[in-house]
Amino acid sequence: MSATRNPQESSSAAERVGAAPKKNDQKKDDGSPDFATLLHAWIEAHRASLIDSLRRLAKQPIGSFFTCLVMAVALSLPMGLSLLLNNVERLGGSWQRAAQISLFLNLDASEADGQKLRAQIADMGDVAESEWISREQALAEFQQQSGLGEALKELPENPLPAVILVTPKEVDKAALEALRLRLADLPKVQQAQLDLLWVERLSAILKLGERFVFGLTLLLVMALLLVIGNTIRLHIENRRTEIEVIKLVGGTDSYVRRPFLYMGALYGLGAGLLSWAVLAFGLDWLNGAVVRLAGLYGSDFALGGVPLADGLSLLLGAVLLGYIGAWLAVARHLNELAPK
Amino acid sequence: MIRFEQVGKRYANGHVGLHELSFRVRRGEFLFVTGHSGAGKSTLLRLILAMERPTSGKLLLAGQDLAQITTAQIPFLRRQIGVVFQNHQLLFDRTVFNNIALPLQILGLSKPDIAKRVDAALERVALSDKRDLFPGDLSTGQQQRVGIARAVVHRPALLLADEPTGNLDPRLAAEIMGVFEDINRMGTSVLIASHDLALIARMRHRMLTLQRGRLIGDGEAG
Repeated sequence: MSATRNPQESSSAAERVGAAPKKNDQKKDDGSPDFATLLHAWIEAHRASLIDSLRRLAKQPIGSFFTCLVMAVALSLPMGLSLLLNNVERLGGSWQRAAQISLFLNLDASEADGQKLRAQIADMGDVAESEWISREQALAEFQQQSGLGEALKELPENPLPAVILVTPKEVDKAALEALRLRLADLPKVQQAQLDLLWVERLSAILKLGERFVFGLTLLLVMALLLVIGNTIRLHIENRRTEIEVIKLVGGTDSYVRRPFLYMGALYGLGAGLLSWAVLAFGLDWLNGAVVRLAGLYGSDFALGGVPLADGLSLLLGAVLLGYIGAWLAVARHLNELAPK
Repeated sequence: MIRFEQVGKRYANGHVGLHELSFRVRRGEFLFVTGHSGAGKSTLLRLILAMERPTSGKLLLAGQDLAQITTAQIPFLRRQIGVVFQNHQLLFDRTVFNNIALPLQILGLSKPDIAKRVDAALERVALSDKRDLFPGDLSTGQQQRVGIARAVVHRPALLLADEPTGNLDPRLAAEIMGVFEDINRMGTSVLIASHDLALIARMRHRMLTLQRGRLIGDGEAG
């Protein structure tokens, strides 16, 4: 703990005990230190605390690494699940087909009517895509897929209506139902059909996933605070004599606390970097298998990596958690560290 | 400098550490507090250092009532005081220089100022050549001198010492007392708790005698 404390407090105290005045050029006419002097002392105090904390972590490289690793694993679980959910949601783009609304037109609707209606629907704000299937195309597809080709040829006329397939922008039950009702009211539309079961299932799965990730995040944040708190408690215990001496020679609580806060933040930074690396490698490793599986279904889907913004959020969150954990630990133990 | 007015200290378990103690210490004075174990010497020092609070009476240090100061004010009070312990309380993972520099680092002094003042303190206790050694490399007497250098490096108005010669042979004890007298000559008030009556008698300073928490004597030693 070689850091210096708050310069404002320090200088006044230094003067009270008759400490040697600093150079005249560093002071204002009224004798108080100028802003540059105070700023320099403040920066020096923090620099010293940071270096002291780094030195202590470097002294125990294996212990420090494993503490960071434990924290990184705890950070990676919710972050990894969250990234997988994002990928599932992206995959859900192709699942939107399950939420397509089929508009069956009246048998007397001409192709011109159908194309006009398709264009009108495509202009709607909540519609991603609309596809026109003529009566002839519908019959041809049905003949091919049903295996009743020859039998259907015997029919006197095509019994199938023209269809417009509408792909909505959002897979949300209420929004889809509202869209279906609006489409059903359009002229020449006989029926608007929506398979909501798929949509509900997908929505429920995603919501469950989000809730699970949220709960897991809360649990692991608490676990992280405990890990960092316990680690800092051990550091405090190892430096008990030093802290008692510092308090006896006039060190304030913030002076005692500062290096531990840096230590907590450094543990967080190390854990955040490790977690980012674990996630990047983990997703890359999984991606090979996912691409092969998706290829079998004729899809070019691939897992996305860790976006830069998410990675930076992970780092910031980890540093904050380390800082808060250290703060809580020091606050809890500071009173026990009164000089004996 | 210090004023005790009917100061009493009673602990939660009912034990009375000090009974209505009244005395004054003038600025620049050198005095001993003596008495047998349990007489209240350490309690008296702990009260001055605000490690404990009096349960009755008034204790003033440089005009400040120690019964009234807030917890946040205590560090600033302690910066006016230097403390020397019987067991030195040195940090064994720091060099002699860094041990002595600690109070100055807390005060926020610049590195050149710290170096200048630590070197001056080392010179005063005749340990300039031990600057970069660790306390573990020093003898007990040298360790005590490092403790004294640390206690005076920030030029406190008051120096407290609790049995500073307790672990030293008579020759070293006399040497350490000589260092205290040098510091006192430079204007620092010195208050030493000790039960070494022979040593105290030789120095002919004011002596307070405590017995079971009561002041039973106040006069020149010897």
